[in-house]
Amino acid sequence: MMTSERLRQLITFVTFAALVGYWSTTGYFGYELIAEIAVFAILAMSLDLVAGYTGLVSLGHGALFGFGAYMFGLFTVKLGIAPATGMAAAIVATTICALLVAMVVVRVHGIFFIMITLAIGEMGYEFFFKYRYLGGDDGLVGLPRLDLSGIGVNLSDPSVFALAMIVVTLCVFLVLAYLLRTPYGRVLTGIHENPQRMRALGFPIRAYRISAFALSGAIAGLAGTLTAQHTQFITPQLLHWTTSGEVLVMIILGGLGSLVGPIIGAAIVTLLRHELSSYTDYWGFWLGVFLIIVVVSRKDGIVGWLDYLRQLVAERRRPETAEEA
Amino acid sequence: MLSVEALEKSFGALQVTNQVSLQVPTGIRHAIIGPNGAGKTTLFNLLTGELRPTAGRIVLDDLDITHLTPDRRARLGLSRSFQRNNLFTGLTVRQNLAMAAIVHERRGRCFWRPLAGLSTIAERTEEIADIVGIADVLERPVRELSYGIQRQIEVGLALATAPKVLLLDEPTSGMSPEESGRIMHLITELPRELAVVIIEHDMHLVFEVADRITVLNYGKVLLDGTPEEVRSSDVVQETYLGGGLD
Ligand SMILES: Nc1ncnc2c1ncn2[C@@H]1O[C@H](COP(=O)(O)OP(=O)(O)OP(=O)(O)O)[C@@H](O)[C@H]1O
Ligand SMILES: [Mg+2]
Repeated sequence: MMTSERLRQLITFVTFAALVGYWSTTGYFGYELIAEIAVFAILAMSLDLVAGYTGLVSLGHGALFGFGAYMFGLFTVKLGIAPATGMAAAIVATTICALLVAMVVVRVHGIFFIMITLAIGEMGYEFFFKYRYLGGDDGLVGLPRLDLSGIGVNLSDPSVFALAMIVVTLCVFLVLAYLLRTPYGRVLTGIHENPQRMRALGFPIRAYRISAFALSGAIAGLAGTLTAQHTQFITPQLLHWTTSGEVLVMIILGGLGSLVGPIIGAAIVTLLRHELSSYTDYWGFWLGVFLIIVVVSRKDGIVGWLDYLRQLVAERRRPETAEEA
Repeated sequence: MLSVEALEKSFGALQVTNQVSLQVPTGIRHAIIGPNGAGKTTLFNLLTGELRPTAGRIVLDDLDITHLTPDRRARLGLSRSFQRNNLFTGLTVRQNLAMAAIVHERRGRCFWRPLAGLSTIAERTEEIADIVGIADVLERPVRELSYGIQRQIEVGLALATAPKVLLLDEPTSGMSPEESGRIMHLITELPRELAVVIIEHDMHLVFEVADRITVLNYGKVLLDGTPEEVRSSDVVQETYLGGGLD
């Protein structure tokens, strides 16, 4: 019988195989699509770490994402720092920003947590919308890509860039999957399940929540620097709450707390946005219908459905094997 | 040694804890009895920090812990089980106990080694499962198990952190006679470095394990004495035991 764990590994393998398969057969438009999926997959995994595993549903992750992109723009375009250093600095800056935000927001819970992350995110949006030095509402152009010609990788080639983005997505997935297997990762799951008991056992749950949020911010910042390098043009729209909402839709659709689900969710939402929107103006409507089905079925998204199917199959088989024995 | 001095707690106009003082020396088995609503659980909540007292002091080994957070107190050696099961119902028994074992091994911040590779945590988990008698259901999800077994996990979680003072809130309620016999036996077998404070309604079990008994009524200490003193006290017989003992 296949275990839940094995099924997840299979889903992960199929997901990445599909991405690479698509990459090997597609053209320019497909490369752009893959890069976009990868950016949102990374952002969605970052949100899954806090929302799906730690139980902190943030509506401010779009702002952290946009903050990372703008920091990359600031360091490279405005301050003339090399892209690699600028990228590292932008990620560090976003981590610090997320840490400061976390110290405030972990004091409240439930709907208040959602509202305060939303409010802080909107403050960020307003700031970059008004801040002329970084382009204000016109956005910022001319962002560079990492120069990897030293190791024979030309990131200005869309095909190469798309493949590199798949690789980064895989790396982020592997790092997080590993982290969640460590005691620290298990503690985060415990805090999600029963914070009161975790505190009674002796875990300083606020410190764990802050650290998870900061780590999540680092990954959201990474996604921001990647979208900046992909489109080479950024606007305050990245920080808008609709970005946060869309990423939340991705992880709910794919499967909250499954890590691979958010990647699938990112792929579906991105594909729907591009494909369905050319057939119908109502793509958002269909996405909504899809989302309602997922939420009402209470099966934790696509990954949850697949796991439910696995259980059905396992139950069907069980009586047969019992007879054989 | 846990010492409680003139502790008070009010919920609005309702005074639930009224000038409660208590001495819990190392190794003692201390029972707290009293009718429903006497403030027994509230007292535990004050001791563990889940509630803040309106007045009074709580001292653990010469350290004033009155204003410390619940997790700090737990790390200092104060552990509790809950009257109503308070488990990680979505996880397996092993995963539940491992949570406490992570505290015990001080590995909560370890983010570089997989949990499965840490043998000390697995050992501690299995040791506790053995002690409370749930070794055969380690891989089962908690929500599939009977109430009595969940109760054993509840006690296991409190025990697994190796506390100095173990607070048990009606650990045997809802258990089968065998299960509760096992828990009571377990309490008598616990190492004597450990103090146990137990809230219990079954008077036979209380007289079996307790070295000392505090009787609470309307948030007040009605009597604090040895089992013999409690047994022979007229006040206790009237107000709580209703003369129904022996
Ligand atoms: N958070 C609260 N807010 C208001 N009143 C409370 C609160 N917690 C407890 N009480 C009240 O305090 C009183 C004591 O409750 P407590 O749970 O401590 O009693 P107990 O001795 O543990 O009773 P039992 O034997 O039923 O468990 C009760 O009257 C209860 O209604
Ligand atoms: Mg009670």
